[in-house]
Amino acid sequence: MRFFRQAWTIAWKDLRSEIRSKETLNASLSFAIVILLMFSFAFDPDAEQTRAIAGGLLWLVFAFAGALVFNRSFARDLPNDCLDALIASPVPGAAMFLGKSVANFALLFTLELVCFPIFGIFYNVRWTDQLGQLIGVVLLATWGMAAVGTMFSALTVNLRLKELMLPMLMYPIMIPGLLAAIQLTTDLVAGQPISAEKMVWVQLLLGIDVIYTALGVALVEIVLLG
Amino acid sequence: MREKLLYALGAVAGVLLVRNMHEIFLVVPDEAAQGYIYRILFVHAPAAFVFMIFAFVSMVASVTFLIRRNFNWDSLAVSITEVALPFGAINLVTGMIWARIIWGVWWVWDARLTFMLISWLMYAGYLIFRRAIDEPTQRGRVSAVLSILTFPAVVVTWKAIEWWRTQHPGPVISFRSGGERRMDPGMESALLWNFIALLLFAAVLVAIRMRQESIRRELDGLRREAHAI
Amino acid sequence: MDQRNFTYMFYGFAAAWAILVIYALMLVARERRLRTELDRLRNMIGDRK
Repeated sequence: MRFFRQAWTIAWKDLRSEIRSKETLNASLSFAIVILLMFSFAFDPDAEQTRAIAGGLLWLVFAFAGALVFNRSFARDLPNDCLDALIASPVPGAAMFLGKSVANFALLFTLELVCFPIFGIFYNVRWTDQLGQLIGVVLLATWGMAAVGTMFSALTVNLRLKELMLPMLMYPIMIPGLLAAIQLTTDLVAGQPISAEKMVWVQLLLGIDVIYTALGVALVEIVLLG
Repeated sequence: MREKLLYALGAVAGVLLVRNMHEIFLVVPDEAAQGYIYRILFVHAPAAFVFMIFAFVSMVASVTFLIRRNFNWDSLAVSITEVALPFGAINLVTGMIWARIIWGVWWVWDARLTFMLISWLMYAGYLIFRRAIDEPTQRGRVSAVLSILTFPAVVVTWKAIEWWRTQHPGPVISFRSGGERRMDPGMESALLWNFIALLLFAAVLVAIRMRQESIRRELDGLRREAHAI
Repeated sequence: MDQRNFTYMFYGFAAAWAILVIYALMLVARERRLRTELDRLRNMIGDRK
């Protein structure tokens, strides 16, 4: 129980610092909206095309903006040796990983909640037909992204080129999860519920969530501490 | 002594490769529908096996390094990952050339191909990642974690043709299809021989690379000594 | 069509060999570089001592 309380403390610390400064949210949100707009005028898709690419477009936007969020995750603790203090504290690395994953998950989910209506407006798309299932898929996929992203944030926090290395290492691992999310989102945005044969993608998302959360919890201590 | 052993292994690998080229082009029977291009399988599949086996060894070496903290395991991990990359590249490139003829396209995003590409990109990223960290202990530790994180992708690559309906051909080699004979035994034997040849050649490359890694460590030590004087 | 089939097979094998040879050459080049550096450092330390 103490473990989860520690994780929650870390999560709440990150979220509170974010709410006060809003730097990550502002940066990633502006970035996401700009990309959405740019795709809209670059390709100017009609209704049929939009329905076909909706999933891919949205999840690419979330992946790019997500990289900004994850980068800040551990990097926000670098000034004033905060990270060293955290590592030296009795909070186990796994709790720190879980806490930061939860915080990143919350930030990314907020970003997605804002992006969906904007997508609907600028691309002229009704996306709320299967809202329940859509939110479910978004939650699953976002947690997977958060777990992987937080893990790689920990891995790259001490590197000179962390802004470059984090996306480069993170995206290949995210491809299966993104693929599943894209397949499901395209269907759901078009108004079709998840069919039986598409359930395999949901299972893939669940598998990714479980595996990478477990791996993260197990390995982050080694990355941070040695 | 070790040098001589390496040369001997290299020579054996070379002879085997020549023998295999003969077998692939002149001995193995024609395939029913594909024409000449199918013979590329005898390079494509063994290269994939080498890549995946090396990925597994990399993971084991990484875990062992994290437990034992002996830098020889770190050397093994980086050497075997680096040598695995050309073999993975051979697999991808020969596959694309085959696909251009048989499927009419260079690439499809089916499960097997996608995960193979992801795995290859991740191991390439592993090498670039290592370059970014100067301190040897931290470098070994963190890249070991990266290697462990990457290995699931390789497992999925291996199992992809069983778990999904892929455009990539399904399991035909007898040890994968449960002993069932789906491929001509002459072809299977050629496949096995080329796998052994490529594995031997790769092993020699790994040994050379590991020796270079220990030279690097000696260089680091000498540099520190030079600065100290 | 048959000719193209055969040509592509040749390209395939050529690509495989090329990749192996290029990597082997990279290893040899690195070996040479490392040995030169090693000798240079050894001499430098020898001189300083």
